[in-house]
Amino acid sequence: MSAYISKVGKGYIIISTLISMIIILLILGVLFLSSYDAIHGGGWRLFTLTWNPPNNQFGILPMLYGSLVVTVISLVIAVPLGIFTAIFTSEILHPKYRIYVKSFLELLAGIPSIIYGLIGVAFFSVWVGELFHLQSGRTIFTAAVLLSIMILPTIITLCDDAIHHVPQKYREVAKGLGLYKHEVIITSVLPIAKTDIIGAVLLALGRALGETMAVMLVIGSIDKIPTPIYNLLAPGQTITSKLGREIAESAFSSIHFSAMVFMGMILLIIVLALTFIAQQFLKSGQRLYE
Amino acid sequence: MKIYYVSVLILLFAIITGCNASKKEAILCAGATTVLPVVSNAAEQFKLTHQDVNIMVNAGGSGVGINLLGEQNIQIGMISRNITQKEIEKYPDVHFVTHPIGKDAVVPVISSEIYDAGIMALTIEQIAKIYKGEIKNWKEVGGPDKEILAVDKEMSRGTRHVFMKIVLGNEEAAAPGADLVLGSNNEEQTAIAQSDAAIGMLSNAWINGDVKGLSIILANGEVVEPTLENIINGKFPITRNLLLITNGEPQGEIKEFIDFIKSPGGQKIVEQAGYVSLYQ
Repeated sequence: MSAYISKVGKGYIIISTLISMIIILLILGVLFLSSYDAIHGGGWRLFTLTWNPPNNQFGILPMLYGSLVVTVISLVIAVPLGIFTAIFTSEILHPKYRIYVKSFLELLAGIPSIIYGLIGVAFFSVWVGELFHLQSGRTIFTAAVLLSIMILPTIITLCDDAIHHVPQKYREVAKGLGLYKHEVIITSVLPIAKTDIIGAVLLALGRALGETMAVMLVIGSIDKIPTPIYNLLAPGQTITSKLGREIAESAFSSIHFSAMVFMGMILLIIVLALTFIAQQFLKSGQRLYE
Repeated sequence: MKIYYVSVLILLFAIITGCNASKKEAILCAGATTVLPVVSNAAEQFKLTHQDVNIMVNAGGSGVGINLLGEQNIQIGMISRNITQKEIEKYPDVHFVTHPIGKDAVVPVISSEIYDAGIMALTIEQIAKIYKGEIKNWKEVGGPDKEILAVDKEMSRGTRHVFMKIVLGNEEAAAPGADLVLGSNNEEQTAIAQSDAAIGMLSNAWINGDVKGLSIILANGEVVEPTLENIINGKFPITRNLLLITNGEPQGEIKEFIDFIKSPGGQKIVEQAGYVSLYQ
């Protein structure tokens, strides 16, 4: 009987793995098939600046620019803040309080994105508008800052785990060599935790790239690259906000729909590529303490 | 053991199909946020007398309503513009039947700050220039020295179709002067109320203290205010019908529901929502 159960268990595990793999392949396949019309009909014209469905113009560059810029800025804001906070909670804060601070931060990570979006529309975008004397506070910058707040808890709590898991002996040795506390952190703790910290940043990046609702409400939804190109206090559009606003308007199996799916595929390819690069990168930097 | 697994599977199957069988008949409606308050209020009242009918009303915009009906995912589409030829050709299997339930005007609206500073009327041409990006400052039309925040709407929205057809001459015209693109009436209303120098387009029923409706200066110099009276007598230039659409002539409960909205009781809801009823 127990051999039978073991067999069933094995079968169950294999089937579960197969199902997950098939789902990923199906998604990729469906995305590619559905965007074939756009790729075939549009070709390189998909990478232009004008998006105007009635005229059959489907340039995705403004959306691509928006997605990349919003994500990069939100990471630039959130990563240093997150790592410093994690150093504080795991190295400096008394261990007794660490668990309270951490559960509070994890609560923040669980707030639904629409709540951030509502706060963004009702207050934050208005403040940005007033602060910079803008016509409207719905800008790329607003979306990026809002996103950085959203991904901050993820970065903090994962980096905190990473730093906390560095075995105590490395700290003791470093201290024994006469290093100050900040030298211990910089020269031994952080390099050892590096791999896991990069993993945390990747996860946050994935969330930032994929976030739809909050970004859609505050970014202004203009399909333009701002002039000049580095003017972040101008409205823009990300791939996800474009999909959120327009996917239901486009008729199924039209070129319009196909072009929208193409954007979704580009987004997926970016995420897959980043994950792949990070994995290659991490291979060389195996955890020292394992 | 095998029998055990098979019986679990059968049980699961039975539960899933059982759920489907016991589901209440539901009428699905979706589309224009302009028509939405009327239909959702009417659905509430209709359900009081027809307790076995479940009516679900969703937003999305006129274009979404037409697409969903075209793909036969819903039974009633709500639209605040006419169906375009392109859309009819897109769904050759679907026979769109329209049911007018009221009338409305699309009004150019501005932030109350600009209205109070003296801009209470513009010509169609001036509004067109703002959306084309040729007029960028309120002082060019006699207002205060403030940059104009031109608020546009998503391409398939009914309000935009009706507005752009009159203002730019083509219902799907691009508006290069636009600074923001938003979706529903609520979203547009919020953005204009938050700004102190915005212009946008809204259904007549959505105008309030923070979002003021502009009068339109006709070619002969006459100034037409966006009042119910001017919408009823047809003087206000940007008016439209509020429509429900079905695939073929409606039958059974769907017909009963549409007839209810057209009845005096239903038309009262249309008037309460700030639109012009069929009887006015």
